[in-house]
Amino acid sequence: MPDYGHDLKFGSFITPGNASPQEVVALAQESEAAGLDLVTFQDHPYQSAFLDTWTLLSYVAAKTERVHLSGNVINLPLRPPAVLARAAAGLDLLSGGRFELGLGAGGFWDAIAAMGGRRLSPGQAVDALSEAIDIIRGLWDADNRSLFRVDGTYYRVDGAKRGPAPAHDIGIWLGAYKPRMLRLIGAKADGWLPSLPYMKSLDELAAANATIDAAATEAGRDPSAVRRLINIGGRLGGPRSDRLLTGPPEQWAEQLAALTLEYGFSGYIVMADDPGTIRAFGQEVAPRVRELVAQERGGVPGNAR
Amino acid sequence: MSTGYGHPLRFGVLLTPGGSEPEAAVERARLAEELGYDLVSFLDEPAGTDPWTLLSWVAARTSRVRLAAGVGPEADPAVAARAAASLDLLTDGRVELVLSTDGADRADGVDGADGRVGDVVGRLGEAVDVIRGIWAAHHRSPLTFDGEHHRLEGAERGPAPAHNIPLWVAAEPRPGPLHPGLLRLAAAKADGLFLTPEAPEDPEAAIDAAADGLSPAPGGPGAEIDAAAEAAGRDPRELRRLARIAPRSGPAEEWVADLLALIRAGGLSTLLLATDDPGILRRFAEEVAPALRAASGAERSQVKSVFVRRHRRDGIDYDAVPAALAPTAVEPGDAGYARVRSTYLRGGSPGLVLRPGTPGEAGQAVVFARTQPVKLSIRSGGHGISGRSTNNGGIVIDLSRLNAIEVLDKAARRVRVGPGARWSDVAAALAPHGWALSSGDYGGVGVGGLATSGGIGWFVREHGLTIDHLRAVDLVLADGSQVHADEEENAELFWGVRGAGANFGIVTSFEFEVDEAGDVGFAQLVVDASDTAALLERWGAAMEAAPRDLTSSLIVGRAQLGQPLIGQIMAVVDSDDAETIVNRLQPVAAAAPLLDYSIQVLPYEEVMRVGHGQHDGQGEPVTRAALADHLTPELSAAAARLVASGQTYFFQIRAVGGAASDVAPDATAYAGRSANFQLVAFGPSRRGLDAAWDGLLHHFNGLYINFETDLRPERLHDAYPEPTLRRLRALKRRYDPDNVFRDNFNVTPTEP
Repeated sequence: MPDYGHDLKFGSFITPGNASPQEVVALAQESEAAGLDLVTFQDHPYQSAFLDTWTLLSYVAAKTERVHLSGNVINLPLRPPAVLARAAAGLDLLSGGRFELGLGAGGFWDAIAAMGGRRLSPGQAVDALSEAIDIIRGLWDADNRSLFRVDGTYYRVDGAKRGPAPAHDIGIWLGAYKPRMLRLIGAKADGWLPSLPYMKSLDELAAANATIDAAATEAGRDPSAVRRLINIGGRLGGPRSDRLLTGPPEQWAEQLAALTLEYGFSGYIVMADDPGTIRAFGQEVAPRVRELVAQERGGVPGNAR
Repeated sequence: MSTGYGHPLRFGVLLTPGGSEPEAAVERARLAEELGYDLVSFLDEPAGTDPWTLLSWVAARTSRVRLAAGVGPEADPAVAARAAASLDLLTDGRVELVLSTDGADRADGVDGADGRVGDVVGRLGEAVDVIRGIWAAHHRSPLTFDGEHHRLEGAERGPAPAHNIPLWVAAEPRPGPLHPGLLRLAAAKADGLFLTPEAPEDPEAAIDAAADGLSPAPGGPGAEIDAAAEAAGRDPRELRRLARIAPRSGPAEEWVADLLALIRAGGLSTLLLATDDPGILRRFAEEVAPALRAASGAERSQVKSVFVRRHRRDGIDYDAVPAALAPTAVEPGDAGYARVRSTYLRGGSPGLVLRPGTPGEAGQAVVFARTQPVKLSIRSGGHGISGRSTNNGGIVIDLSRLNAIEVLDKAARRVRVGPGARWSDVAAALAPHGWALSSGDYGGVGVGGLATSGGIGWFVREHGLTIDHLRAVDLVLADGSQVHADEEENAELFWGVRGAGANFGIVTSFEFEVDEAGDVGFAQLVVDASDTAALLERWGAAMEAAPRDLTSSLIVGRAQLGQPLIGQIMAVVDSDDAETIVNRLQPVAAAAPLLDYSIQVLPYEEVMRVGHGQHDGQGEPVTRAALADHLTPELSAAAARLVASGQTYFFQIRAVGGAASDVAPDATAYAGRSANFQLVAFGPSRRGLDAAWDGLLHHFNGLYINFETDLRPERLHDAYPEPTLRRLRALKRRYDPDNVFRDNFNVTPTEP
């Protein structure tokens, strides 16, 4: 099919380095000023060169006004889901509904274990993530008066008080590549957030979308309930080329519009730490993509859920 | 005895985070800052907003107040440590941590018979070790911890927080003694004990409970914690005593009197008022806190904690550091040490880093350092090669806080710059005026070291050396006094500062006359350097023939096995016209087969832009430097042999000449005015590089001091031919006869 018809979102992926923290904050503010919709930070709590992502997200949320924020993606093994749920809801409330939960199962198990975290096999990590999503959604369900219990293999909640509820429906977006994770997205998540440099080909994107769609349908969900976002890198500027995302803003816009119309993506997050690229992405690429996609869809932009 | 063991009296608020409306808690925190409270903290409540998230948000919405976060027994201490350090870095040092048993010590059996309580205390004790271990970023080894409750298998350490984050151990006093394990934990591993009586109906009872909890009377827990501190090898004055207090009604005088009694009885130095009521917050701040501050006296002599003192080096009298410098000084046990110990190219472990914020403080730093029998190094940006700017066990005077950049006269393009500014900052500050100042080829370099020696930058052929733009300086001399020098006043000193300045004092401000500049052409070319000699010769000829608006440099690295040797040419054309840029670059690009290139037109400030990274150099750079008038066939061939020999892994030639050669050799202490080229080689071994380089000396005509690490006295004659050297030695004898400033390219007062 694809083109699931979602409105388009554009974001930045800023390295959360701790050598000069205010420069990181300034890049987030630059993203907002450039008209981007989303600012994201990777989360590797075992990485000593980075700021703690949760702390940074909270701090940056308070230093911005309009832009949404997400981890890209939050490291579940070192962030227990019950704490994470409450923190996410709190940040969403504080920011007036600007927080989204990009979440990952974890991958660098040596580093996780070095920090005192639990080492899981890839399969176990998917199951743990599935349990975590249940816990997070259960704790956000503040109107539910029933006692909240989850007796999972990896996480347990024993009669915790639910709440607070977030200010808006926080999207749970999973960073994923393998079939089991993709099926989990179809079954339970609100979004898929891979990185383009990790994909071997565009065909792989199509195949993954199909896996997600099938799992969604099986779970009784509309495939369009799952937003497809993607981290992108490349060279923005310079002469046109026949390579993906290597050229001027016009070329980026055409290629991203094609990714929307042919591969169903509706969120583009540019991996860049220089203000020039962030500005050009927000001011020159994003409006052109919106225009091109609106033309093809033949209607007004933003007709989706 | 003073009331709080020498600690200044502080007041804080303890707020509830609120569930679905956390914005109210944020507003109260901001009110607390406005009312002059020192500290804000949030309780952890079921279904309440996560306190760490709330505190991080509040950190961004406040500017002065300190932020105390709780760490409970369930927290992952490694993640918590990194989060706390991150927030401390974001807030420039406003974070404190409260270690809490989350009420476990409130359970029955507090005498220690209850294993569960002991278990929780044990967990917290291990958490403290892990937290301090993560913060100890100056240890290069990863953190391994094999505890009963926490296990770390080689975690990365760092980041170090911005300041020494204090750790408070929270404990709830009740009838009977405090949990002895908690008391020992606070005394042995933390920075203080925080008494948190539950707020009962009767506020006076709460105060009594707190007072009982800390009474230093013989046999009381206050005396116990003193004893426990001493048993742990600590000075009891290292430990703060904090207490939570409840709001009360009635006359303010009564409240003051009762709290004063509590403060005196318990040796308290921090009170946290637990209320969300803005009226009470205001009343306490306006009617109670000032009276308590006035009554508690001003005698203060804070003791650094044993966790800092145990890392001190011999030979430095740390307690004698001048009071104005002490708050910003960094010693090896301090949190910020990892960020200041080393430089860009050199690993160091100084015993003390002084960070003066004014010229007067710089003078005090010099006077203090002279009384200490250890090495003294001066640092501006920390890129020094001959200006070593770090040491082992000595003192560093770090000028990074003297980094102001101001415009003095728009019409004359006159600016004043501090030595601690970086050239990227200078470029960014001048750009809005349409100005630029040629400096070096890298924006991360600091102003002080470069602007006292030369400055061979991207406009050197068009506008000359950086020192050629210098119109006046202010210096701190070896006796700590301050002088001004320019063409009229102290003219000989001003002459010497321009080429050998680091020898005579610390320049605390530079006045420059800068140039106009627009966008420039910035090119990076990769060329085949297989025929190294031909490349050098052709590039050299092209540069000598080029108009002055072109400046470029050439780097040849070490050949990689199985790959052709490549050369990297960087060039700046002072023009935004594409045709001009291409015309200028063509002869340079023709020096050797072109493998790759990029050409951009961009503001000069973008050429100079670099992030403010942390320096973490290791080891000791081995370099040789030289100036040459021409890249003759003989020099080019000899340099090619050097590159092929493997004795240099980084060989760079920068174009000079042009406007730099318009200045007479005796006009400044930088004498090498005839040179069209400046050369530097970095080598893997001192002996190997020296042997190879010494064979080239007859090709050279002087040297640029900033890239030279050879300490043999002949180098002084290379850099400063007579009569320059004679004049410099006379200046040295006059201004620094004891050679205080010698950890640089050193002009000795007399011939050695």
